[in-house]
Amino acid sequence: MSENEPFIGIDLGTTNSVVATVIDGVPRVIASRTGQTLTPSIVAVARNGKRLVGHMAKRQAITNAENTAYAVKRLIGRRWGSLEVEDARKVLPYELVPGPEGADIRAMLGGRAFAIPEVSALVLAELKADAESFFGRRVTKAVITVPAYFNDGQRKATRDAGRIAGLEVVRVINEPTSAALAYGFGKQMEKKVVVFDLGGGTFDVSVLDVGKSVYDVIAVGGDTYLGGEDFDRRIIDWLVFSFAQEHEALDLRQDKMALQRLRDAAERAKIELSEGQQAAIHLPFLASGSDGKAALHLDRQLTREKLEDLTRDLVDRAIAVADRTLRDAGVRVSQIGEVLLVGGMTRMPRVQQAVKTFFGREPSRGVHPEEVVALGAAIQAHALLHPQKGKEVLLLDVTPQNLGIMVVGGYFATIIPRNTTVPTSQSHLFTTVQDNQTTVRIAVLQGASDKAMENELLGEFVLEGIRPARRGEIEIEVTFDISADGIVGVSARDSATGTRQSITVTATSGLTESEMRRILEENLDEQLTRRQVGDFERLRDRTRTVIVEIEALAPAVKEALARSRFGKDAVLRAEEVVARARAAMESGDLQQMIGVEEQLDRALQLFKGLAGGAPPGGKGA
Amino acid sequence: MPGESGVQADRYHGFLFNPADLSEEVDIDLDRRREILYFVASMDRWTHWQALDVAWNASVAQVRDAYRERAKVFHPDRFPGLQLGSYRNRLERIFRRLTEARDALAEESARADYARRTAPPEEVARSTARQIENDARARERRARMARTNPLVSRVARVRELLDRGRQAMAEERFADAARDFMTASAMDPTATEARTLAEQARRKASSGRARELWEKARAAELQNDLDRAQMFAEAAADADPAEPRYGVYVARLALGRGALETARSRAEATVRSAPTLATAHEALGEVLAVQGEVAAARKSLERALELDAGLAGARERLRKLRWSFLR
Repeated sequence: MSENEPFIGIDLGTTNSVVATVIDGVPRVIASRTGQTLTPSIVAVARNGKRLVGHMAKRQAITNAENTAYAVKRLIGRRWGSLEVEDARKVLPYELVPGPEGADIRAMLGGRAFAIPEVSALVLAELKADAESFFGRRVTKAVITVPAYFNDGQRKATRDAGRIAGLEVVRVINEPTSAALAYGFGKQMEKKVVVFDLGGGTFDVSVLDVGKSVYDVIAVGGDTYLGGEDFDRRIIDWLVFSFAQEHEALDLRQDKMALQRLRDAAERAKIELSEGQQAAIHLPFLASGSDGKAALHLDRQLTREKLEDLTRDLVDRAIAVADRTLRDAGVRVSQIGEVLLVGGMTRMPRVQQAVKTFFGREPSRGVHPEEVVALGAAIQAHALLHPQKGKEVLLLDVTPQNLGIMVVGGYFATIIPRNTTVPTSQSHLFTTVQDNQTTVRIAVLQGASDKAMENELLGEFVLEGIRPARRGEIEIEVTFDISADGIVGVSARDSATGTRQSITVTATSGLTESEMRRILEENLDEQLTRRQVGDFERLRDRTRTVIVEIEALAPAVKEALARSRFGKDAVLRAEEVVARARAAMESGDLQQMIGVEEQLDRALQLFKGLAGGAPPGGKGA
Repeated sequence: MPGESGVQADRYHGFLFNPADLSEEVDIDLDRRREILYFVASMDRWTHWQALDVAWNASVAQVRDAYRERAKVFHPDRFPGLQLGSYRNRLERIFRRLTEARDALAEESARADYARRTAPPEEVARSTARQIENDARARERRARMARTNPLVSRVARVRELLDRGRQAMAEERFADAARDFMTASAMDPTATEARTLAEQARRKASSGRARELWEKARAAELQNDLDRAQMFAEAAADADPAEPRYGVYVARLALGRGALETARSRAEATVRSAPTLATAHEALGEVLAVQGEVAAARKSLERALELDAGLAGARERLRKLRWSFLR
């Protein structure tokens, strides 16, 4: 590995994503090619079939709501038919369909079914491209953050997304831990820290014991369905309801475009109310009246008080989770040395107030709560790839949920309890229950309930090729391990013979290996064309600046040549090169551009020399 | 490096390293490799304290600190991008062991409990000594309280008397014990325990005194001072009426000195109090024989032999009586 191979940390958010790196030991956010630090986590397929990502996708969301996927983080790694997905289907303007195996979810965009990791991969690829344009070279190594409360399936799907985007995901780390890492960067922290991370779609709370550059997570808690989107939805519902009261029970939610406008307006009003006391929501021509009546407008004032009223239970829910997590950690409020606010939603004054009341202290926040997670990811990437003596940090994270198996009667038996430091492993003995049984089926689940059905099924593992024997005679030791990424692995061996037992995994919420390969091949082609387009654009920009420079120097050169006896044809030759470069820029052909580039550079060097009074044909000419 | 491998380093307590493990092609320096191998080989028998390299009974804060330090050394993340070979698995196992130790000791009550269970012998001795000292201090405190508060004083005094009585019992000073228990019982008539203890102690005390007297009687007898012997023996029999052998002894002595009335009454009393004691019947039989009450004597002697066939004196005497009868 070369010492200065670039690496990035990515905060793949529900609403916005951020990419960062560490340069000269200082973490910094990489701005997009258009100069923004936040990239909306939105992917769209335009009417002409073009894929749009980020701001471009967001800008056209209103007019193309059905083909614009947003908040896919809420769907990633989830199963078709789960409660969360059914809920999401009711409010999302784009269509969701089950995957070919029936377990995962696909989003229909522009008539094509996208696996959710594919959608996320497009966002990641965009950030990767931003980073590559920043470094001027290929970037492959990345640390990606996920909510601490993400389960195994969600983490695996996020890793898959990275792979599809052409990234080598060095580690998946938890957002709150990442935020703490960024916050503690350069400080000699020696205390217990609580990270309160209320983002766009998920809520996380983590209790860490920080000291000697070791970030030791004691407990995590959270709710993967609590975030800014829910606050927005409360505003939308309020608007829709009052609109329906005024206009003969007209349901705005039936109209996808109106819904998208409402969503934008709601988000804007919410953000405004973090500063002001009142926000005006003005949406002209929102709906056409029935029976050819005039178009209907929506015009309302939302006060901060009303917003707090609408979302009180959401804030209470977050505080309740924080309370439970603190108890899990065995830490009293008085022992907390720092409370860190992360995520855009913590800008809301009511949230800050609730946190302050609960913890009895003024919470701290980074300068940019939206960027701090990506910065932490970059720091961790740096630590994992380019360790430096004396500046090392070490993250010790925990598993967020109980990992266990289904046992007789449909009950859930915990094998690795939540808040166990990872990496970890635990073995469990299984036995056959029938004579000559050759397979054993193990359903692996994650969750907090005693009943297996109420927990998240990670997958079914089938132990095969068990040697025939009487029931109970065979003992198979199954080892469950959780990696530092929080990803679950299962291995098995016959405890009598010591031979490894083969395992097949079925019914996961993720992509199958063959599908993954297909997507990777497809995307490779697409990325290649995309890359060439990108290279061409970069070169064109550069050529343009060189031409401007040459033209600026031209008068001085002509003046200098007029007093000279030689080099008359230099100007002519330069003019010819510039003309060819212009033609190449028009053509859009990368090879033609590359061909003309060197000549153009030489012309510039020559002009610089002549204008500066140095003899032509000198060094660099 | 065959020369280096298998070397017994002192800090590893003579642990013998496997040369194959040490010479594996990995990006870890030799010292660290030794440390890892030694840790893995030892960690299952180590206490949590040893795993974290802290002193026995280290505080929660010390445990957490040590965990961080050790994690920084052994966590696989601390070897980024390096060729680790079979050492990766070892590092992971070490980290798990460290975490296990930390989890066991990070919570105060669990930590204290574990400390008690893993206390080294010298610590156990020290803590026992401390316990004794604490008890002494507590007693002193009670005494001080007793001086100032009459109600407490009464209760405390009773407890003190009982304690002292038990102590005396243990040291076989039964008379002292009986006195203390009786005083305690008098001070607190509701304390049935004091009363039963007093009874026990008194019995033990009188049996002790009786034994002393009996020994004096034996000594006098050996010196042929039969009058004194008789006196002490009678006193012993009176002091411990529950011990019939004293009665038998008195009867024998009296018979020997010709004090037949005394001998007879003592022997009869003894037979009454211990009807199953062969020697008592034997003594009575001998007295009766001397007094010429042949039938009664023979009956007593037969009874004695019935209870203990090995009484040679009784058998002899009975034979003589039978003969005399036949004659």
